Amino acid sequence: MAAAKRIGEPVLEVRDITLSFGGVRALLDVSLEIRAREILAIIGPNGAGKTSMLNVINGFYHPQEGTIAYKGRVRQRMRPHEAAEQGIARTFQNVALFRGMTTLDNIMTGRLLKMRRNFLWQTIHWGPALAEELEHRVFAERIIDFLEIESIRRTPVGQLPYGLQKRVELGRALAMEPELLLLDEPMAGMNVEEKEDMSRFILDVNDEFGTTIALIEHDMGVVMDISDRVVVLDYGRKIADGSPDQVRRDTAVIDAYLGVAHEA
Amino acid sequence: MALAEMQTRSESASAEAADTFPKLLFGHAVQRGDRRAFREKDLGIWQSWTWAQAAREVTAFAAGLHALGFRRGDKLAIIGDNRPRLYWAIVAAQCLGGVPVPVYQDSVAAEMQFVLDHAEAHFAVAEDQEQVDKLLAVRDKLPGLKAIVYDEARGLRHYAHDFLVSYEGVQEKGRALLAKDPDLVARETAQGKGSDLAVILYTSGTTGVPKGVMLTYDNVLKTAANAVAFDHLTEREEMMSYLPMAWVGDHVFSFGQAYVAGYCISCPESSTTVMTDLKELGPTYFFAPPRIWETILTQVMIRIEDAGWLKRKLFHYFMGVARRAGGAILDGAPVGFKDRLLYRIGGWLIYGPLKNVLGMSRIRVAYTAGEAIGPDIFNFFRSLGINVKQLYGMTEAAVFLCMQPNGGVKLDTVGMPIKDVELRIADNGEVLYRSPGVFAGYYRNPEATAETKRPDGWTHSGDAGFLGADGHLRIIDRAKDVGKLKDGTLFAPKFLENKLKFFSYIREAVVFGADRDDVTAIINIDPQAVGNWAEKRGLASASYQELAALDPVYDLIAGCVTQVNRDLAAEPHLAGSQIRRFLILHKELDADDGELTRTRKVRRRIIGERFKSLVDALYSGATVAQVETAVRFEDGRTGTMRATLKIRDVEPAGPLRKAG
Repeated sequence: MAAAKRIGEPVLEVRDITLSFGGVRALLDVSLEIRAREILAIIGPNGAGKTSMLNVINGFYHPQEGTIAYKGRVRQRMRPHEAAEQGIARTFQNVALFRGMTTLDNIMTGRLLKMRRNFLWQTIHWGPALAEELEHRVFAERIIDFLEIESIRRTPVGQLPYGLQKRVELGRALAMEPELLLLDEPMAGMNVEEKEDMSRFILDVNDEFGTTIALIEHDMGVVMDISDRVVVLDYGRKIADGSPDQVRRDTAVIDAYLGVAHEA
Repeated sequence: MALAEMQTRSESASAEAADTFPKLLFGHAVQRGDRRAFREKDLGIWQSWTWAQAAREVTAFAAGLHALGFRRGDKLAIIGDNRPRLYWAIVAAQCLGGVPVPVYQDSVAAEMQFVLDHAEAHFAVAEDQEQVDKLLAVRDKLPGLKAIVYDEARGLRHYAHDFLVSYEGVQEKGRALLAKDPDLVARETAQGKGSDLAVILYTSGTTGVPKGVMLTYDNVLKTAANAVAFDHLTEREEMMSYLPMAWVGDHVFSFGQAYVAGYCISCPESSTTVMTDLKELGPTYFFAPPRIWETILTQVMIRIEDAGWLKRKLFHYFMGVARRAGGAILDGAPVGFKDRLLYRIGGWLIYGPLKNVLGMSRIRVAYTAGEAIGPDIFNFFRSLGINVKQLYGMTEAAVFLCMQPNGGVKLDTVGMPIKDVELRIADNGEVLYRSPGVFAGYYRNPEATAETKRPDGWTHSGDAGFLGADGHLRIIDRAKDVGKLKDGTLFAPKFLENKLKFFSYIREAVVFGADRDDVTAIINIDPQAVGNWAEKRGLASASYQELAALDPVYDLIAGCVTQVNRDLAAEPHLAGSQIRRFLILHKELDADDGELTRTRKVRRRIIGERFKSLVDALYSGATVAQVETAVRFEDGRTGTMRATLKIRDVEPAGPLRKAG
């Protein structure tokens, strides 16, 4: 359908990461790269270390060993807000929105990092501060239009069904104009129709804005349909890395999913 | 007053001079160039275009179409939600002597292919990626299709097809062509005349494959002008365009009448924001099929039930006052001083704020048509002081045949014939008519045309009805659907179904009885209303199927059926067709499964075939019925649903059979 898109050089390289919590090893010697403008899926059975991987990438967790290079800069530690400032946005497995605020306000919070006027100016809400807010409002409205959530613009998100909350959360992440978007189970708990909608939005985001996307997902049909590349984790190790077709045929992956016994 | 009258007269005079839509458009651009003609909400803000701006947009697009090779007689398929640009595409095609063919935007690819193929449309304007994808899916089977113009570019960037052009791209081509040949569009427009074909509207097909109804400019404009005069519509009306553009209702209300009267139409932000947009807009002229009035009422009632104790008490008290006095005050009938005073106070406390929330504070005239409307619904809106009236019409008549005049509104009629319309009732009860709106014929279907437009000069409506002593027409059913039970008792299924559907708990109903011993029904409950009802009683259900199978829900529906039977028993010739048995279906009837038409009318025959096992069980005396149905999901995949349904007997009210 679409012409081949230009997948570029790696924007993020994770090298030999090991992460443990006390005696539990969440990630063991994992290396992976995320290339510009691709959709990368990270899959694996429960407890394989997928969410830990995302948390390492955006600075929630600090690995004991290994390095992370983002846009050429090698680092070992980064705080979440630094990640956000450098263009990494994410959504969460359990929706993390401001439940009492409207859809529009939630999306506007995604613009906070882009606002230049200080708190005082914004309190006065006049002149340059007003002009700036209008500019951000227009941006938020574009996202609302993009995600087709016009009808819930003024609805407090706490009243929305789960599928729509997920969409609002994606909207807030998009409001940050991210270069790298991390999605933690964007389709968990959705029905077939909602999943299709969400898949289309993810593809459209990637297509329209050239956003690089790394996502965790359990629905294999979805993963195989929308990803350019798939990384498989199992018990904290990377066991496969390749195109959806390669991964589907990989014996190690099949074993991991069918539950072959692991030696202690 | 005199000034307004003069204005209307000069308007109707200019309307007569301009015998096509393009001529009207350019006329408006001169006479009221600075008046708003189109509005659309985009990115949360209402954008608007004046008649002069619209004329420029249309000219550029028409010239662009010409540059693409669109010529006199070519058909332009138009597919999408209501948007100014798509309305402009209609006139742009007409400027060049072409014929617009609006297509239902929720058609699946195969339905779309049928219409484009049958209409021989070589050009299409599609709103967005969704519509373009459907066209591309069937492009192999449409060898004649030369170009697809899209309005919304999102997601289409990587579509490398040279027959795919953007709306702006077409307008740019047009402007380049106009730079060389500035009179092109004016010259082409001047060649059009009133007797030319203006539009082909495909009927949604309650009966088999869709038919392309050809309407001339005279059909649409003369009928629209008569209807505009009937309600004294002016250029100051505000109207929301939100019904499918392929439906004649929208074509006449948001296009025909808007061009005749010169009023502004507003397109909602999306199909899901209509209610909010309606509130912001506050239309003065409004048209909705009964289903939408019903949805609005249901939402109001649900919100009232959830409101605080005081609000609920006030609402119910003053709605009681409104039921007594509201309709009469609207009709100008005498009302006692006390009720008049209470109604005034109610207007202050309840009706005013409620109408404001619904966006109905400014409505002067509103219509409902297409199906019968429930008495509760109709009376609710009228008692609030909203002037909802009924009309009778059809695509083949460019809509307007009968309309209810102010002060002559009745629930069970569809009004009196308007100016230039003649009615006659055939021996079998069928309504026949003659009017300036009588269509030119069905496109490429002379047999069907000959069946409808008879040589004696009368057009057959297909509806059975009768004219009352008051001159008002009453419709009972489709002429061919009026059947008889085995013993010869009159059986009018739609009449019964509508009576059932008047209950807010029943969403759809299909009754059977033709050539049978008695009447039975398959019921679809309204999940919102029944769900709410069940929740209040602490009845748990996880799905429609579970809800539909609950015993208390069966009791609830049995109560409704009994009420219908009581009404039927009161009418001597219908008393024999009381409903004896019913069951509640385990799934909602769905247009995607072919059980409803796109305008949500039930397809009785298809339902009868699909649920044959259920119909058989209804007549076998069994207490349960097994059913297995194939369902089609929105993505085209299919699956099966299995269920065991209970059957409930209902006692007839009063004597079933006529004595003697």
